[in-house]
Amino acid sequence: MENNLNQNLFLQQFNKSDAIAYSQSFTSSTSDYNFQLLDNAYRNTGRIYAKLKLAIDSNRCQDETCALELAEIKHLQEAPQASLDFLSSLLAELSVTDDSNFDPNNNFKYTAANSVMTAKPGFSKSDGYNVYLDLLPNGAQQIAFIGPAFEEPLVINSTALNALNESNTSLVVQTPDVSKDMLRLLTEVGIFSPDMVSEDGQLSAGAKITEEYVIMNPDGTPDYAIIDVGGGKGRNTLKYDIDKIDKKASPFINAEVAGLMSSEQDAVAAWNVYISKGTSAEEDDQMAQNANAGEESWSYEEDLPLDQDKKVLFEKKYKEYFMNNYLKQFITNQFPTVQADAAVFDLAEAKQAKAQKFIDDNNL
Amino acid sequence: MPIGAGAIIGGVASIAGGLFGSSSAKRAARAAAREKRRLQQKLNNLEKNRQEVINPYEGVKSLSSMISNPFANLSVATQAAEMKIEEADISLANTLDTVRATGGSGSATALAQAALQSKKGVTASIEAQEKSNEDKRAQGEQDVQRRKMAEEQRMQQADVAGKQFVFNTTENREVAAMDRVASQLGMSAQAEAQAKADQTGAITGMFGSLASIGGSLIK
Repeated sequence: MENNLNQNLFLQQFNKSDAIAYSQSFTSSTSDYNFQLLDNAYRNTGRIYAKLKLAIDSNRCQDETCALELAEIKHLQEAPQASLDFLSSLLAELSVTDDSNFDPNNNFKYTAANSVMTAKPGFSKSDGYNVYLDLLPNGAQQIAFIGPAFEEPLVINSTALNALNESNTSLVVQTPDVSKDMLRLLTEVGIFSPDMVSEDGQLSAGAKITEEYVIMNPDGTPDYAIIDVGGGKGRNTLKYDIDKIDKKASPFINAEVAGLMSSEQDAVAAWNVYISKGTSAEEDDQMAQNANAGEESWSYEEDLPLDQDKKVLFEKKYKEYFMNNYLKQFITNQFPTVQADAAVFDLAEAKQAKAQKFIDDNNL
Repeated sequence: MPIGAGAIIGGVASIAGGLFGSSSAKRAARAAAREKRRLQQKLNNLEKNRQEVINPYEGVKSLSSMISNPFANLSVATQAAEMKIEEADISLANTLDTVRATGGSGSATALAQAALQSKKGVTASIEAQEKSNEDKRAQGEQDVQRRKMAEEQRMQQADVAGKQFVFNTTENREVAAMDRVASQLGMSAQAEAQAKADQTGAITGMFGSLASIGGSLIK
């Protein structure tokens, strides 16, 4: 698994780095991408078609019903459309490896295959790569990739790919855009007033959590925390009832996780790229170039379907990720909305006043 | 179309272009279908975990046990009547004793009348006072009960209103959240339909090229 991860990361970095542009041996040699997939696949089909047609017309079939010949002719007639469907489905799958948040725990061979199919520098015939499309007797088709990145040929069968797609499964897993999902989730958890959410579903600049979640004194005034802003000065900041926020947000976060779990392979990708390490969104951007979840990664081959423990862990960490990376900024260092309380003040005086109030309140 | 794609695919150049166009549309359709599935699951979860419909009047109890008749136990002022009789007797006896001792000639009946008369006012006053006190106690008790009931009613109404408020607010928020997800679901279904239409368009563009491949088969 680790080897696969490293191979994938190497290929990603190789493709993104443009390093090959500075290789003299590359720039001075011919790059031949003339794989001619369809031309090669259909090279002899005209002759075969003619033979079959002649056999039927002249009653020289293998049996008197000509069933075999008729079936083969049908396959040949349907083959061009099937080839185009197969190749377009395959290209759609492989293109996922170009995504910025692609999970390198996917099989690295698909990254290499995409590089071949999209004619990336270093993946030409001259570099030792080749692709073959074969029409199989049963009407199915298969594509095989060979070259230095493939220890063994990567073979993909059209019927297998079609079956996967029909059951809403992917050969290469597209990582959900967790950042986008969480920004939207922020507006859905019900702790911001609707007027702070714009028409396009985004939180407006300067959005604040509603007062319902601010901790209040018995007299109805906010219970401020004081932060030291330096130079002996301080400022009031609002305190939030985290339990209440958690209680309010949890059902919506759980629903989000349930949605994500509708495709477990998506959840695995989200875990590997974003959730597992509890890193910040910024760190995740950087991590994509490193190892993401690394040794904590879940494997598509070994961990699917996800067991209950993993599902529970995913839900817990997803919530933590949301709280730490998206919600925290709205409950940290929030200044009072009351103008007078928002002013900078002398820390020593404030401390003395607070002590005096305590003495007065408790008749000390 | 990426550089070299035509050569990779082979055949007529427009096939390669169509293939890449079709693959993009296919990917978009699959992404939209996946998004639709995700939103449907999310909506199901939100619906499944909606709050139970409450009966805000569930905790309302009958206050009839608090109602009693404050006049039920009013005492009758018999003591005053007994005292009146007793005092009248004593007064009469005393007067008779005095008359006998002094050899007076007053009528015993007149004396008795006088004694009786003198105590009558006192008795009447005590009775009136006792009755007044009793009335005040009853009135006070009635007032206390009325106030207690009013307070109980106020508390129950506040409880009902509170439950109603929490329910309505939660309901509105949950419905709003579900509306939003349902709306997103509608949009993803549209996106899926659009992507499928794009895919069909891209494939239609390849038909001419397909014909040329098909033609080459029978040459």
